[in-house]
Amino acid sequence: MDLGLQGKKAIVVGAARGIGMAVAETLAREGCDLAIAARSEDGVKDAVANLKRYGTNVVGKAVNVKKADDYKEWLAWAIEALDGCDILIPITSAGSGLGSEKYWNNAFEVDVMGPVRAVDAVLPTMTEQQSGSIVLIATTSAGEAMGGPQPYNAMKASLVTWGKQLALYHGKDGIRVNVVSPGPVEFEGGNWDMIKGTMEKFYQSQLRQQPAGRLGTPEEIARCVVFLASPAASWCNGSHLVVDGAFTNRTHF
Amino acid sequence: MDVKRKVDMIRVNPQDWPDGTPAWKAEDPDLGYDVIPAARYTSPEFMKLEWERVWTKVWLLGGRSCDLKEPGDYICTDIGKESVLIVRQRDGSVRAFPNVCLHRGNRLRPEGLGNAEDFRCMYHHWTYGLDGCIARIPDLDTFPQGGPPGMRLPAYPCAEWGSFVWFSLNPDVGPLEDYLAPMPQHLGPYHMERMAWVRDITVEWDCNWKASVDAFSEVYHVQGIHPQLQWYLDDTNAQIDVYERHSRYLVPFACVSGRVALPSSIPPAIYEIMVKAGMDPADYDGRISDIRRDVQLFKREHGASQGKDYSELNDDQLTDDYHYTIFPNVSLNVHADDVMMFRQRPHPTDPDKMLYDIWMFELVPEGEEWPERPKHKRFRHGEKSIGQVLDQDAFNLPTVQKGMHSDAFPGLWIGDQELRIRHFHKVLDDYVYGPGGKSPGDL
Repeated sequence: MDLGLQGKKAIVVGAARGIGMAVAETLAREGCDLAIAARSEDGVKDAVANLKRYGTNVVGKAVNVKKADDYKEWLAWAIEALDGCDILIPITSAGSGLGSEKYWNNAFEVDVMGPVRAVDAVLPTMTEQQSGSIVLIATTSAGEAMGGPQPYNAMKASLVTWGKQLALYHGKDGIRVNVVSPGPVEFEGGNWDMIKGTMEKFYQSQLRQQPAGRLGTPEEIARCVVFLASPAASWCNGSHLVVDGAFTNRTHF
Repeated sequence: MDVKRKVDMIRVNPQDWPDGTPAWKAEDPDLGYDVIPAARYTSPEFMKLEWERVWTKVWLLGGRSCDLKEPGDYICTDIGKESVLIVRQRDGSVRAFPNVCLHRGNRLRPEGLGNAEDFRCMYHHWTYGLDGCIARIPDLDTFPQGGPPGMRLPAYPCAEWGSFVWFSLNPDVGPLEDYLAPMPQHLGPYHMERMAWVRDITVEWDCNWKASVDAFSEVYHVQGIHPQLQWYLDDTNAQIDVYERHSRYLVPFACVSGRVALPSSIPPAIYEIMVKAGMDPADYDGRISDIRRDVQLFKREHGASQGKDYSELNDDQLTDDYHYTIFPNVSLNVHADDVMMFRQRPHPTDPDKMLYDIWMFELVPEGEEWPERPKHKRFRHGEKSIGQVLDQDAFNLPTVQKGMHSDAFPGLWIGDQELRIRHFHKVLDDYVYGPGGKSPGDL
């Protein structure tokens, strides 16, 4: 199956590690030009060097999504550098955190306003070209409780709702918006890698809840994200895809 | 070394801190690569040599000065077959005596702390003053030979340093300061006298006392038995320094080991370090690899307002573990805000057993009331948890001791990360066989 991604221009916010890096790599392999962002200069530099192996145009620059002005500037730069934007995948997250009100601000700024500002930035371009595809990344922790009462889950949940609204509103302009909710994903340097090392019993208890007896990999999430982002998923709009190896119990009627 | 990342650890420049704890790396001595014979851990003969040439010759840690506030306060502590009474005198000094009645040999006091006007044997009421002089022998006129020589308990050398009280079973022992050197210079800046007891536990372990000293003398074991600590300290960046008798390693805390990938979120144990320092991790916008330095800067800036005087400590000491071994049997994890130390005592008769004392202290902020002293607890290994990390440390020791008896195990095969173990055994050799006097064939 040809995903139809050759020559598409994609922006990935948060591409230096984990799911974001796997998404960027899958897109590059499929022939997309890329503009990527991450927090650290080194992270971006390494990621760009890695992604260039696939022979497409790859640009990157470090940005702190929490700094709204810098971030908006970065988004304008990315669209300019790619000379357009066909695909937007904003992935950055402030991660979990419990107990301080500041975590709400962090999650709001990064997990919610990160995608909001990116979507706002690309909509004029996509509307003008009457085509575009956006994939938002939520989490299975939005649909099923995990990790205690914390902003991460609640803020991520808002993306599921907002994604549907975007799809309904911009569908007429040829813009598709879909949401992917990954279950627990393990990769070197990721949270679950650290949990395996620091809270082994908890980690094992999570494995026991996984029908396949393991956690997901970034690549397994990335392939689903990239499919939804691609023209091959032209009739997928406003959908919410849970990619969790059947970790969650809920039946999606 | 098997690492995932090369970590360039920021360390203080020793020259910037001339008056504090020396941060210089000492030159490593050439101690060779010989096997350290396993029989040292199992042989009753070697145990006897240790008793005659080490335990009865050196200065030994007796307790804490804060347990001897008032005249008559005493610490009764055992070492091997001996029991020692350490007593605060009316003039403020400390004295130590054998805890034994000169009449029929009864112990005067059980092990532990207390306050006494005098020490009266519970057998025939022979009574000793705080200074060890016999104050009363009931029916003295029925002892035609009179009282025992000098009418007093013999005195053991006894002195205080660093909030601790020390004694020696050797009447001819040299000055305490000479024995401890250079520890006072190293540990003085921590002002342990400002720290209060938070934990006082003795666990009976089924291993030789040296197996325990060894266990706390290297961080090579972190990857094997404390995997969780790799997200708390950097075991690949330990600085090892061995001195004349004593030794140390310096391990960066509040950072992630080069053996694991750097995470993108703050590891739970490092989060706790930040909270303890008064930082708000939710507010932290830096990189994970910058936390250690940022904690140092934060404590430097806010310590005084928290009632914590860090002025004599260098920046590394505000986060890191300065871990010392004071020969023969004291291991201290020294930190700016707390000390976790172990006193490792031999069993009186059995080389396969030991007493593991856990002493923990915390800095009491200036102006705050000292917490109530915790009661001493004693139990056998495995009966109760002593915390995740120490449980992990203890886990292997009984099976290590079993292996020491195996005919297939000639002895310890020691690497460079374990230099302190090799040094400890060298110092032990010098006491047991005389300096450089160990001959081929000696244990």
